[in-house]
Amino acid sequence: MQKKLLELEFGERGVVREIRTSVHDLNCMGIRVDRELKMVTKQPIKGPVVVLLGEMQIAIGLDLAAQIIVDVIGKDA
Amino acid sequence: MADSTKKKITVLMVGNPNVGKSALFNRMTGANAMVSNYPGTTVDFTSGTLIEGRQEYEIIDVPGTYSLEPRDAAEEVAVRMIRDHPDAVVMIVFDATKIDRGLYIALEVMEQGMLCIVAVNMMDTAHDKKISVDTADLQKVLGVPVVATTATSGEGIRELAEQIRKAQVADLDKIIKRLNGEIPDKKSVGGCGGCGGC
Ligand SMILES: Nc1nc2c(ncn2[C@@H]2O[C@H](COP(=O)(O)OP(=O)(O)O)[C@@H](O)[C@H]2O)c(=O)[nH]1
Ligand SMILES: [Mg+2]
Repeated sequence: MQKKLLELEFGERGVVREIRTSVHDLNCMGIRVDRELKMVTKQPIKGPVVVLLGEMQIAIGLDLAAQIIVDVIGKDA
Repeated sequence: MADSTKKKITVLMVGNPNVGKSALFNRMTGANAMVSNYPGTTVDFTSGTLIEGRQEYEIIDVPGTYSLEPRDAAEEVAVRMIRDHPDAVVMIVFDATKIDRGLYIALEVMEQGMLCIVAVNMMDTAHDKKISVDTADLQKVLGVPVVATTATSGEGIRELAEQIRKAQVADLDKIIKRLNGEIPDKKSVGGCGGCGGC
């Protein structure tokens, strides 16, 4: 199932399929197509989402997170 | 003692924030560091001296950056420092647990045609997390010296300092060919990692 990164639920894991904004800005932070990531925190009141990428936790603003399309591959408890 | 007939060489330490650049810098330069403001900016940077093999180096701890397409003032300064020191050696510092992200900035720096050397820092953390990094293979692929370090314990610092003089200009076309297996591995002789420094 495809979702916007923004829509991943807490603990859900996905693989990045498409980046609809500056690919460079996300790539240099380690987010690129085919990379697996996991949603670890969603901050309330339009705060950033935090995803886990390997050993890195990366906070991403909501607008940006809406531009990243992922394939959902599972969910951790 | 430095050989006063040799020209001082500038070394720019470049890498993502929090990879241990400053810790490595402190290990290499000891107590003579100086903090300055980069001309026309509010961004501070630290510089210090290293004498190794009778050669004097001015080491500059460049503000951490994710890329050479700047997105804030500190990144802007990093880019300017590289542009303002075309003859410098760039020491690219990786966090051994986040190699892929380090490679992004590394390749951007290598594209500039500067002399490069790579330090893969935080080897202790990588070891603890059961992440292994094949620095010899990385050196073969990149064609520049790659040294494993742990800044907090001092491991690898000596070798890192010694390898600065072997810094190489990376050849991106060759890197791609090596990755595609189009260039066979050079036979390594006597522990040589094939960085081409000799
Ligand atoms: N375990 C470990 N910690 C390190 C190493 N190098 C630096 N650190 C720590 O990582 C943090 C960031 O280091 P720092 O030198 O400030 O990173 P910089 O942002 O790249 O200058 C500090 O808490 C350092 O003590 C290392 O090799 N191993
Ligand atoms: Mg620092």
